[in-house]
Amino acid sequence: MNDSSIRIFAFRVLVISMVVTLGARLYYLQVLGREKVVQTATRQHVREVVVPAPRGAIVDDRGRPLVRNRPSLVVTVDRGELRSQDDGGRAVLARLAAVVKIPAGRIAKMITPCARGVPRPCWRGSPYQPVPVVTDTTPDRVLRIAERAEDYPGVRAQVETLREYPHVGLAAHTLGYTGPITQEELDNAAAAGRDTYHHDDMVGRSGLERQYDDALRGRDGVRRVLVDNRGTVTGFDSETPPTPGDTLVTSFDVDLQALAEKALAEQVAAMRAQFDGKTGRNFAAPSGALVVLDPNTGRVLALASFPTYDPTLFVGGISATELEALTDPQAGVPLVSRAVAGQFAPGSTFKLVSTSADVTAGLGSLAGRYACPPSLAVGNQVKTNYDSESLAGTIDFRTALAFSCDTFFYQFAMNAWYADQARVDAGRRPAEVQQAMARAYGFGNEPGIDLPEGEQTGGRIIDRAYLQRRWEQNRPQYCADGRRGYPEVADAARRAFLTQLARENCSDGWRFRIGEAADMAIGQGETTVSPLQLALAYSALVNGGRLYRPTIARAIVGPDGRVREVTPTVARTVPVAPGLLRYIRESLVFGRGISVSGQTAFEGFPLDRYPVGGKTGTAEVFGKQDTSWFASWAPAGRPKYVVVGMIEQAGLGSRAAAPMVRKVYEGLFGIGRPPVYPGARRPTAVPGVSPATPAAPPPVAKLQPDTPARPAGASREVTRREVARRRARSRARPRGAAP
Amino acid sequence: MLGPMAGARARQVDWLLVGSALALALLGSLLVWSATRPRLVESGGDPRAFLVRHLMNLAIGLVLGTVAAVVNYRTLRTSAPVVYVASCLGLVTVLLIGSTINGSHSWIVLGGGFQVQPSEFAKVGLVVTVAMLFAERRERDDTRRERDVPLLLALAAVPAGLIMLQPDIGTIMVLAFTLLSVLAVAGVSWRWLVGLVLLGVVVVFAAVHLGVLKEYQLDRFRAFANPQADTQGVGYNTNQARIAIGEGGLTGTGLFHGTQTNGRFVPEQQTDFVFTVAGEELGFVGAGGIILLFGILLWRTLRIAGRSPDLFGRLLAVGIAAWFCFQMFVNIGMTLGITPVTGLPLPFVSYGGSSMFANCIAIGLLINVHRRTASSSSPLVA
Repeated sequence: MNDSSIRIFAFRVLVISMVVTLGARLYYLQVLGREKVVQTATRQHVREVVVPAPRGAIVDDRGRPLVRNRPSLVVTVDRGELRSQDDGGRAVLARLAAVVKIPAGRIAKMITPCARGVPRPCWRGSPYQPVPVVTDTTPDRVLRIAERAEDYPGVRAQVETLREYPHVGLAAHTLGYTGPITQEELDNAAAAGRDTYHHDDMVGRSGLERQYDDALRGRDGVRRVLVDNRGTVTGFDSETPPTPGDTLVTSFDVDLQALAEKALAEQVAAMRAQFDGKTGRNFAAPSGALVVLDPNTGRVLALASFPTYDPTLFVGGISATELEALTDPQAGVPLVSRAVAGQFAPGSTFKLVSTSADVTAGLGSLAGRYACPPSLAVGNQVKTNYDSESLAGTIDFRTALAFSCDTFFYQFAMNAWYADQARVDAGRRPAEVQQAMARAYGFGNEPGIDLPEGEQTGGRIIDRAYLQRRWEQNRPQYCADGRRGYPEVADAARRAFLTQLARENCSDGWRFRIGEAADMAIGQGETTVSPLQLALAYSALVNGGRLYRPTIARAIVGPDGRVREVTPTVARTVPVAPGLLRYIRESLVFGRGISVSGQTAFEGFPLDRYPVGGKTGTAEVFGKQDTSWFASWAPAGRPKYVVVGMIEQAGLGSRAAAPMVRKVYEGLFGIGRPPVYPGARRPTAVPGVSPATPAAPPPVAKLQPDTPARPAGASREVTRREVARRRARSRARPRGAAP
Repeated sequence: MLGPMAGARARQVDWLLVGSALALALLGSLLVWSATRPRLVESGGDPRAFLVRHLMNLAIGLVLGTVAAVVNYRTLRTSAPVVYVASCLGLVTVLLIGSTINGSHSWIVLGGGFQVQPSEFAKVGLVVTVAMLFAERRERDDTRRERDVPLLLALAAVPAGLIMLQPDIGTIMVLAFTLLSVLAVAGVSWRWLVGLVLLGVVVVFAAVHLGVLKEYQLDRFRAFANPQADTQGVGYNTNQARIAIGEGGLTGTGLFHGTQTNGRFVPEQQTDFVFTVAGEELGFVGAGGIILLFGILLWRTLRIAGRSPDLFGRLLAVGIAAWFCFQMFVNIGMTLGITPVTGLPLPFVSYGGSSMFANCIAIGLLINVHRRTASSSSPLVA
């Protein structure tokens, strides 16, 4: 090989090695190192767009919707985007104002996050969420915005899913409402490692919407779109479709609930028209409740509360004025469910507890006969029967229950109190059999119904330990009030009473007095219960002593049709002999010859076919008209329903509550009106339900512009980076008060 | 049916060489189309505008190449000084009336969307000149070739200096590599070669430290040294290019389906970064195919060099091989992150008229050499 050949050979080797180097490097990058580089590419150029999961419906026991979704044309304004404009978005707001016919100044207020000193209306959701300014707007208005998107930076017109109530206002308290997620909730979710929330999510705020939020909300999908370096969407990468929320099947029934609410409202109206001879004015009847339970399963069949409200107010954001109206004491705080969260003195309905306690503790005997005087000296007070009625001679428990003789029960309560006092004096623990039995029936503790924390009450059962605790906590206040003497109270008698009470509380507030023991025996004084609690106690009475942790939910049905049944559990068994329970039941059944209080309300009712048992209550409340109660069950032989009715400040249980409860039974059994259940038979199987579907396509054909600038009408754009940026911003400046 | 004369003429053409060049050019037209389509669509233009122009450039290139292939071999050798002077004049012109694009004053805008880049033709000019000079000297007397080296360097220094003024570092590098390769094959002693390489290193070192290079040129080298340092700034091109390549995988996303390409993340994609389109949309199969086509092209070029009966033909072919090879290596290498970013087009594939014309002329010259080889019956190297 000569020199020339060697040189050309060397050159050839150089060329080959360069070609091979490129090939090898290409192979390394594309075939071997693929993962790493693709990831980099994805991170940089794929934007995630949240596709909201359609929220699950809440349906009744026959699959009929109580709450469902409907698409709505919504115009939202992103405050952050407006503020980043040169004029702070003034020009955009002015243009928008002309389109949506809302003054620009008002829109500016609407989108300002609520905080101390911020004038209303203000925005209660996350400060970084686009604020819905108009919901249910017209397609032509949306078009005017969507077509000239460049004139409306920060404004979006899109289809959103809103909650819809086919039976407006029905079961409003139980269903609850949804609201925009707050920044705090987002931060908490992030801290807890949950990524299922997005910054413009709606979350359940109360009622079943809140209790079952996790199931109802589903899982938002993510559409990954490709963007170029200027943020223009250039293509579609992949999509994780949203998982629709589960459907919540309740044991409520649309017809039964409607009947209960109607009966309640009608009775309230009727009582307000009635003159109360005792106070010399018409009944105030400010509130009331009706509870229908299946005593054998612990399922809640209806919960009515008066006053009620229209949950539609919360859809798309509630105004501050509207919210104020719902929480206004003058208007009776419509937002609070009287059935579950209201506390009222139960009156004579509480004699179920007294009888159980007295007989079980051996204070009295079912075979014994005891006096029923018109009045009785209790401590330094004289307590009388209602209207000072009395029965001659001695009576047994059956008659005492039926006639509802207060003095009869006082005697046992006093004996129990004396016995406890003797124990306390001897340095032993008091037995407090009344309170123990009350707790056994579920009073004094939250019933554990499937409603959110804070939306159910446990009522109040006082005992010595409780009073001691309360006194220690409040003593300074009592004593200060006693010294001050309530100068702000105009009425002299009331001022004197309050001052006296404060002074007594200051010195002796820890004492459990004999009068309080007697009051408890007839469900008055400090004793309070919710209508639901009373219904549960009466369910225990008629089902053999099982105290249920009740449920409204019947089943949770997944989008795939999978059914998860929700079954009430037995919280405890009432420590009362079955014979005694039977005795109490039989004492309170109507239409068996003996006169039972409340029976007058059932005149003309076919008690032979549908025997009803029940106990009235007429609770005296200081400074108010009497609370009217009726706790009942039917059919008496094999009870299928427990119905408890309550109307505040409406007088006798037999006059106000019982007639209302009767209407419910008429519906349940189909007496004189069509039965609420087909064939008067309550369905037991979980109804078939169809899964939640995404919002229907927008009714505007051109809502989605042809340019790829906006990914989709119904989607909300959230990039992870954007959220992070927004968070950073929220840390950087003081945040307004949480709504 | 080809007649015997036609058959003989056909045998005078290295069809593999022409075929691989044509394949690269046609493949290039698809890639250019894909790279320019989204932008044209957005601006409302004809999405095939660049495709059409690329094919037009190819057509003109074919004519130029045919002329270069059929011109008399003797005439070609004697016209070398003319080519040399013409290319130098072109470079002077560009300095006087040229336009600045991407920091380089390298283009003469002719109007009507046409522009000429004289430095591309200077490559042809230098190769022809050096080959001719060596061959003439060698064939007239048998003096040591070393003596020609200073003369050659002086001759090369004129266009190189003019290009340096634009400045176009990439072309300088091509010229330097080409010159060095020709010298090496021409039989210049190793000492000279090593000395020249060392000189090159010193020049580069001095250029960096004496501030001759522009800041953006230094940035490109810094970005090459540390590609992740500034992915939004100077490292942006390389980083985006690497992502595009990585996106492709084995078979690519399919033509027109590259996200990087559609998203216009890679700047200069139809010209200097055209290989990333292949990498992303055609994957390893397509991009590797391009490298393979270059391999075939270079093989045939070197084969022509080896078989050339005279020194002119051999050095011409070696020079062209060195030019194509270096330009391919640097161009593809920068998209793969193994060479710094320089404004060098990928021969035949990248969009650009001047480059295409120069490349076609080079192929024509190779055919011309091949024809002479084929008509002579004594190939030197098998």
